[in-house]
Amino acid sequence: MDSWVRFNAQSQAKERVIRAAQYACTLLGYTLQKGGAAAELHKTVSQLEAHMSLSRKLLRLGNSVEALEAAKRAIHLSDSVLRLCLTISHLNRAMYFACDNVLWAGKTGLVSKLDQHKWSQRSFRYYLFALILNLTRDVYELRLLIECEARYRAARSPPSPSPTLPTDHLLSHSTPDMLAWLRRQLHLLVTVLYSNPPLLLDLLKNSCDIFIPLDRLGIYRTGQGFVGACGLASSVLSILTMVHPWLKLKP
Amino acid sequence: MEAFVKFTSQSQGRDRIFRATQYTCALSIYLLRNNSERINLVSKLKSLETNMSAGRKLFRLGNTVNSIEAAKRTMQLSDRVLCLCLTAANMNRALYFICDNVLWARNVGLIRNIDKERWSLNSSRCYFLSLVMSLTRDVYVVLQLMTQRARDKHFRQKMELQLNESPEVAEVVVPHLDAFLFLLLESLKSHPAVALDTLKNICDLFIPLDRLGIYKSNAGVVGFCGLVSSVIGIVTLAQPKLRLKP
Repeated sequence: MDSWVRFNAQSQAKERVIRAAQYACTLLGYTLQKGGAAAELHKTVSQLEAHMSLSRKLLRLGNSVEALEAAKRAIHLSDSVLRLCLTISHLNRAMYFACDNVLWAGKTGLVSKLDQHKWSQRSFRYYLFALILNLTRDVYELRLLIECEARYRAARSPPSPSPTLPTDHLLSHSTPDMLAWLRRQLHLLVTVLYSNPPLLLDLLKNSCDIFIPLDRLGIYRTGQGFVGACGLASSVLSILTMVHPWLKLKP
Repeated sequence: MEAFVKFTSQSQGRDRIFRATQYTCALSIYLLRNNSERINLVSKLKSLETNMSAGRKLFRLGNTVNSIEAAKRTMQLSDRVLCLCLTAANMNRALYFICDNVLWARNVGLIRNIDKERWSLNSSRCYFLSLVMSLTRDVYVVLQLMTQRARDKHFRQKMELQLNESPEVAEVVVPHLDAFLFLLLESLKSHPAVALDTLKNICDLFIPLDRLGIYKSNAGVVGFCGLVSSVIGIVTLAQPKLRLKP
């Protein structure tokens, strides 16, 4: 109980729990629709989802400042790729939150005559850019770790007759060699991810999250059920990183 | 900026800011109610207030556990009066949160067959009882401070000096009352945490008093008192030294 109190005291944790509930409602609404349930139950679920979405917008009202502070911190990183990716990602997040605040003002009636669709699309675009940059950072870290691991393995064991295939041989050599190479790379990937749970969680989270703006912007339509499942999965992963802070990818 | 980020990263910090905004809207609506030019603004303020209130009900969904944990802690206090008052206050707050959660479920449409008015009155009653218990504790702490001060020799000398100092002022009709008030004000000045907590509870008390019909003031008084208590809440959260412990 005490850990729940401490968890609940962080407003970001509360926002993640409500996000998980919101996407669970999306998923539930989709399954109810597919299962042909009563229209009233479906209406209740979509009303609950809309209420949670609006309340989350209210809860996020101060987050632009937090994202700007995070961008200020990211500028001082030593690695140039990380510095670039993280700073721009945080700036995009700040813009996303700013658009989100405008949307909240429009939905509550503070700003009349707001083109909600335009601002919604704008906010999803910023969110998509931020997610793409996060994924780039994940792939970059993954590549660094794989190279490290490959060098460590090569140094540990004596060099075998065919270690890595040079590119011009790929076409001329037979399929079993290529398969062996692929299997080795895959094994490297799995080892690196297994020994770095923060990176794995962050990669999974961003991959799940990216389907949401892709669907809303119409770039890659997947449907309400898939979006709900992805949103729920990424929220649960995010709650996990908050409950166990060692699982959070730093910086 | 960093202080703002740290303050809003606590969910209690955000909740108090929203509460302050909600009561500011209530106060503004009352002040502008007869102004025919500002009907548009009044409707926007009403919509903002409803929105904030609904959002806050959702955010309060987990707070019953908080209150029960607090009650478990206060049951172990050594001072009996404090133990009784604080445990009773926390239990009543837990009941208030339960009623509030039921009202949220009703508003959202998850539960349909409940009497909204009855549950709303019950939640106001629980809130009222918890505030009365908190005020009792405040009064007890103030009385303790006053007796402590009265026994202090230096303080007694200071009081004699103060009371005999002003010959131009008319004879005090009730000299004991003058001494009592001086003692009270000095005690409150030296312990701002108690003074702030007492003021906050008194302001908060007007809200359920109006809702239950015990002492009907108007929406303006309720809004003003709510705003003052929210501001005090923000100050005590930002400056932990001003928070009354336990």
